[in-house]
Amino acid sequence: MHKNLETYLEEISHYLSGREEREEILSEIRSHILEKAEQESGPATAASLDKVIAAYGPPRRVAEKYLDGRPVIAPAYQRHLFRYASLLFAVHFAFVMFSVVFKRSFTIFPFLYVPDLSSVIVDAISYLPMAFLADFGAVALVLYLITRSGKEIKLPWPKFASDLDELQEPEAKTLAARIWNMVEAVIMVALSAWAFRMVARFHTLFVAHFDSGKFQPLFKPAPGRTLSLVVLIMLAAGTATLLIKMFSSSRRLACWVDIAADTVALVLIGVALRQQHGNLFAVDVPARLVTWVYGSLTVILLVVALFVAIDLVANVVRLGRRRPAR
Amino acid sequence: MDNELGSIETEMKRGFLQLLVLVLLERDAYGYAMVRAFRDLDYEVEENTLYPLLRRLEKRGLIQGKWELSEERPRKFYAVTAAGRDMRAGLLRIWRKQDETIQHMIKENQHA
Repeated sequence: MHKNLETYLEEISHYLSGREEREEILSEIRSHILEKAEQESGPATAASLDKVIAAYGPPRRVAEKYLDGRPVIAPAYQRHLFRYASLLFAVHFAFVMFSVVFKRSFTIFPFLYVPDLSSVIVDAISYLPMAFLADFGAVALVLYLITRSGKEIKLPWPKFASDLDELQEPEAKTLAARIWNMVEAVIMVALSAWAFRMVARFHTLFVAHFDSGKFQPLFKPAPGRTLSLVVLIMLAAGTATLLIKMFSSSRRLACWVDIAADTVALVLIGVALRQQHGNLFAVDVPARLVTWVYGSLTVILLVVALFVAIDLVANVVRLGRRRPAR
Repeated sequence: MDNELGSIETEMKRGFLQLLVLVLLERDAYGYAMVRAFRDLDYEVEENTLYPLLRRLEKRGLIQGKWELSEERPRKFYAVTAAGRDMRAGLLRIWRKQDETIQHMIKENQHA
């Protein structure tokens, strides 16, 4: 019994588990390695076996050569995965919006269940990533079953929405793009400076100039501070993103920066949506107007969240597709 | 360039090795003996590729394997079957035809 050989065979066996002829495969490899070690260096020792084992290859690679190598999803269907998942997610997202606006749950058994997400909006935001993963998994399962069936099935290819699998790498920046990038950065720096100055002066960004001649805060102190902080962080993140892109030509870094900025934006949108409108205003506003303003803002923020989420997924796909430079 | 050549060589070898095995197994042989036989002919075969190929050929009924337990170490000997001989004849025809095509094209290029 040679411990290193048995450990090696056990590792190969781990990847072959479930296969009927596993024991026979391992016996054949054992016999081969022992004979080769003896032929090359006399009676098999731990050192001579190590040498032959190293030449035979890593356990996973060895085991993979015995597997039939059929893809989980046939190559022809792989492009359908993102397309169908994104379409399904769009439907799912619409139901989440309905749930928030109409304050009710939706069930299409066994495919879809969207709970009533109107009470705590942050639940709706945290529900979306899980919804996407569920949609992605459901589409992957259907494509896997079609692949396993081995039948020639021509899946439809809807021609709308953006194609994640046809995403192009961003072009190298032209001079005009660089100048525009600089103008954007200057505007963002100015906006951020103005916002920081307002907060330093009034402890909130949301003030109005009423007839009394004095600036008054629109929101109560606590929500006012939170919402001001949300806007300040958004401005700071936007400015930092533009400055990094301006001073770096690395497209990989640009993707990472966009992913970070999108993630921050989604979190901040969640925080903004969490504010309870009943306690928001420090000034007299008609109750119906408050409901209308709040409803509209919720829809706008959810739509913005959708676009940010799409950009986030697109950047993750771009990043995953990038090849290391030769 | 060497890497690219190596990867194309691996692809070319994949089909060619099946033919080599079917030719070699006219006489019974076990895996390691086959590796040495190929090496003696200056043809390197990855050991971890040969054994899975033998299993696939055996499953398709082109070769037949039998464990020999009487020697100091158990060894699985393989031999070509009647179906394997038919397959070998077909593969040899293809291989000769491919060789003829390439030779013909090279000659044409030389005269051009």
